[in-house]
Amino acid sequence: MSAVIELDDLRVRLGRREVLEGISCRLGVAGAGKAIGLLRPNGAGKSTLIQTLLGFHQPSAGRARVLGVDCHSQSRQVKARIGYMPENDAFIADLTAVSFLRLMGEITGLPRDVALEKAHEVLFHVGLGEARYRAIGTYSLGMKQMAKLAQAILHGPELVILDEPTNGLDPAARSRMLKLIREMKDNHGMSVVLCSHLLRDVEEVCDEAVILKAGKIVHHADLEAERRTNRRFVELEVTGDDSGLFEVLKEHGAEGVNEGGGHWRIVLPPGVEIDSLWRLIARLDLSVHRLTHRRDSLEEIFLKAVGHLQASPGQEPAVQEVAADGRL
Amino acid sequence: MAVYKRGYRRYQGHLTGYWSRLLALPRFAWSRLMAQRLVVIVMMVSLFWPLACGVFIYVSNHTELWQGLDRGFTRFLEINPRFFVIFMNFQAVFAVLLAAFAGPSLIAPDLANNALPLYFSRPMSRADYVLARMLVLLGLLSPVTWVPGVLLFGMQTGMAGWDWFQLNWKIGLGILGGFLLWITFVSMVAMASSAYVKWRIVAGGLVLAFFFVLAGAGAMIDNILRVEWGSLLNPTLAVNKIWRWLLGAEALPGPEAYEHAIALAVMAAGLLWVLNRKLRPVEVVS
Repeated sequence: MSAVIELDDLRVRLGRREVLEGISCRLGVAGAGKAIGLLRPNGAGKSTLIQTLLGFHQPSAGRARVLGVDCHSQSRQVKARIGYMPENDAFIADLTAVSFLRLMGEITGLPRDVALEKAHEVLFHVGLGEARYRAIGTYSLGMKQMAKLAQAILHGPELVILDEPTNGLDPAARSRMLKLIREMKDNHGMSVVLCSHLLRDVEEVCDEAVILKAGKIVHHADLEAERRTNRRFVELEVTGDDSGLFEVLKEHGAEGVNEGGGHWRIVLPPGVEIDSLWRLIARLDLSVHRLTHRRDSLEEIFLKAVGHLQASPGQEPAVQEVAADGRL
Repeated sequence: MAVYKRGYRRYQGHLTGYWSRLLALPRFAWSRLMAQRLVVIVMMVSLFWPLACGVFIYVSNHTELWQGLDRGFTRFLEINPRFFVIFMNFQAVFAVLLAAFAGPSLIAPDLANNALPLYFSRPMSRADYVLARMLVLLGLLSPVTWVPGVLLFGMQTGMAGWDWFQLNWKIGLGILGGFLLWITFVSMVAMASSAYVKWRIVAGGLVLAFFFVLAGAGAMIDNILRVEWGSLLNPTLAVNKIWRWLLGAEALPGPEAYEHAIALAVMAAGLLWVLNRKLRPVEVVS
């Protein structure tokens, strides 16, 4: 099986600046229905990499292959097999969503009647069914994002490249977008390249992640393996009689260290969620003053990779913080 | 099953060929252009002159209608290269007007709405895109230029007979070739203007300005420097001279037709350069 993306000492020069400085890697397996996350600090060359894969830029050296096909010399074949959702607004303002998608389908190679049918089908799929006869120019930001996703998957591509798909979405729409992306890979076998600066998006959807920095790949993580070894760390501050907490935690396979004064450090095993901990605390009739939990997550991997973790050595847990003063 | 009841399924059927994909763009563009009232009105108005010319050909071929009139008027009614050059001059103006109204809505909205990455991330190159947009304008301008021109030539041939055709077949070719040259050039001007500015109205004004300003600049150079080569800047005069040469009509004073042809080619190269600079899926700031 060929790799989804195969880069061989890829160098891209824009003007006088070399934006990609000799990237080599093999990402994903074609047809496996996996998602690859592309993470980067700003200016790392992520957009340039995507645009090179789409044939927008010519490599100054090396080569890039998508699904086993050279992106530059066989650009047409590559483009017929991929769907692209750009980061910025991109549409034809005075066309209705159906007409817009139909046009996009036809220029990708769908027969006319199929393009029309698919346009309706995909718009219902992304939740724009009721608004499909409205001009796209009148859509809200969230609807435009969905319309962009719809045009990217309309023709059933083998690979979908999504550039910041959750930009500007409210939590509900973001959740829907991520669900659609998961469905694309799990139910339809599409490979997905997800470019995002939101680590949680990548963590929720992707199977592997690549971190770019200054035009180079600085880390390539197998998120599935990371998840398998993942444990959840909890810092807990309680009042009340917590002498029984240690035993109760052990019963659930968790480990806890009492630091005194109601301060606990707890490691939850895979599969045990925070909800269970809240229930245990409630059972012991303890008052929670502070509960913070975090994973040894992509955030930590990312910060290590781009070199920020050493610069800020404080152990501030940053992922999520829950504070409660009332009794449970 | 109703489309809203079934879920999304990946399309895995056959894909259409190159021309089918390419012609989808003109098809959608034509349907949008025909929804613009102004474009339809200009198209209709531009067909009055060919109708009048048709009546003229009819009258000139029915000698019984003008028997007894003086010889000067008889010469005026003669269908010759001069008649067709006058016909073409009128239609050339309508072609420019139509291109100014229709052209800017082709590329400017794609640039304003950042639609180019969507086109170019599909199996469509920049050359394909330009060709597709060009076909829109060529398709729109043809019914007001070479189509009525060839029909009038056919009408005259039908009425005047085979002998007239044998003597004047070059006129037919000249009408076809001359108009194709003109509408290609006008389409390039409209597309380059549309690509250069993102606002439709300004782009339309730019199309008209291109022809008027260059003509004015050429006349100024000729008059101030007392030379003749200034007229090479005037694309309408250039094409008029080329048409006269193609149709075998009396030549105008000034630079030769081939010199004007070179000037037009240089302008066309400049327009292509603008298109090449502006029609990019992403803008690179170096």
